[in-house]
Amino acid sequence: MWNEIKNFFVSARRSTRDEAKGRLHLVLAHDRAGIEGAKLQELRAEVAAVIRKYVEIDPEAVEIHIERVSRQDSQLRVHSPLPTRGSVTS
Amino acid sequence: MGRAIVITSGKGGVGKTTATANLGCALAQLGHSVVLVDADIGLRNLDVVMGLENRIVFHLVDVIAGRCTTQKALIRDRRIEKLFLLPASQTDDKDSVTPDQMKALIIELKASFDYVIIDCPAGIEQGFRNAIAGADEAIIVATPEVSSIRDADRVVGLLAAQGTPTSLMVNRISPQMVKRGDMLSQADVIEILALDLVGAIPLDDEIVATTNRGLPAALNGKSPAAKAFADLGRRVAGEEPDPVRETGVGFFARLGRALGLSPA
Repeated sequence: MWNEIKNFFVSARRSTRDEAKGRLHLVLAHDRAGIEGAKLQELRAEVAAVIRKYVEIDPEAVEIHIERVSRQDSQLRVHSPLPTRGSVTS
Repeated sequence: MGRAIVITSGKGGVGKTTATANLGCALAQLGHSVVLVDADIGLRNLDVVMGLENRIVFHLVDVIAGRCTTQKALIRDRRIEKLFLLPASQTDDKDSVTPDQMKALIIELKASFDYVIIDCPAGIEQGFRNAIAGADEAIIVATPEVSSIRDADRVVGLLAAQGTPTSLMVNRISPQMVKRGDMLSQADVIEILALDLVGAIPLDDEIVATTNRGLPAALNGKSPAAKAFADLGRRVAGEEPDPVRETGVGFFARLGRALGLSPA
């Protein structure tokens, strides 16, 4: 609730300060994990292939992110659509 | 046995040399004996920031190569007692010195001074390796900018790998910009880098003016940055002046904190 009150008074737009924070969290997660873009894409393709062994999915729809949880921990996040039974996948 | 503290940042141009000079002056003003070591071989600058450039005869590489005694290369600052500078060489390059040689030199200096403050070059290569080799502790200088914090984080990782205790000095904070939401606050930088804060220096025109003169602000300045550097000195020396004042915390953040609604 406090954040709502604050946002009402402060401003609706996202401050450049918040933007800087968000970008830093992302860039530091990657830096700390030591995984470069190309390697991450390779990993994404391979993960998508593994998922496809079990369920019918569009491999292009699989997303992969590195997120910083704390100074010590980063985590890998994989998003994949899962077809519900009976639905038709493209 | 004194303490050897390296001032480092990864990124260049964030104020390492200015911080080294002012921390040295602040510590000397508290009555400690201090030697400032310019480890930026080939690109020396601590001498000009200190206003001692006309008095250099020998330098760090001369000492390491055995061309003169350590004593001979030290320049005494006449404005304040017990403050000395060991300048870098301007003509050699970073790999004319090895980390082991630096370590031996710093140990030698620690025997005669309370504080050995080492000004580290930018980057994470040989010059950085040399500068951190003999340091017992490190102070990371970061400005509230994405590029500076990113590089600082990298350096924090390297220092952690060799087990060097590290603290943080946030430099050039503009309270007005933080208030407007256009600059990361010192709390943001602390949170991201997860380090203890030993100093927060406000953006201050006086630093440019005092550097023009070769007279570090902390020597006799009364500007906001000079005061913040004096506090930094006290905190490094283990006195606990006041908690680092948070510059530029907005009204709502303070109100929220006072009401216990938002985290400190």
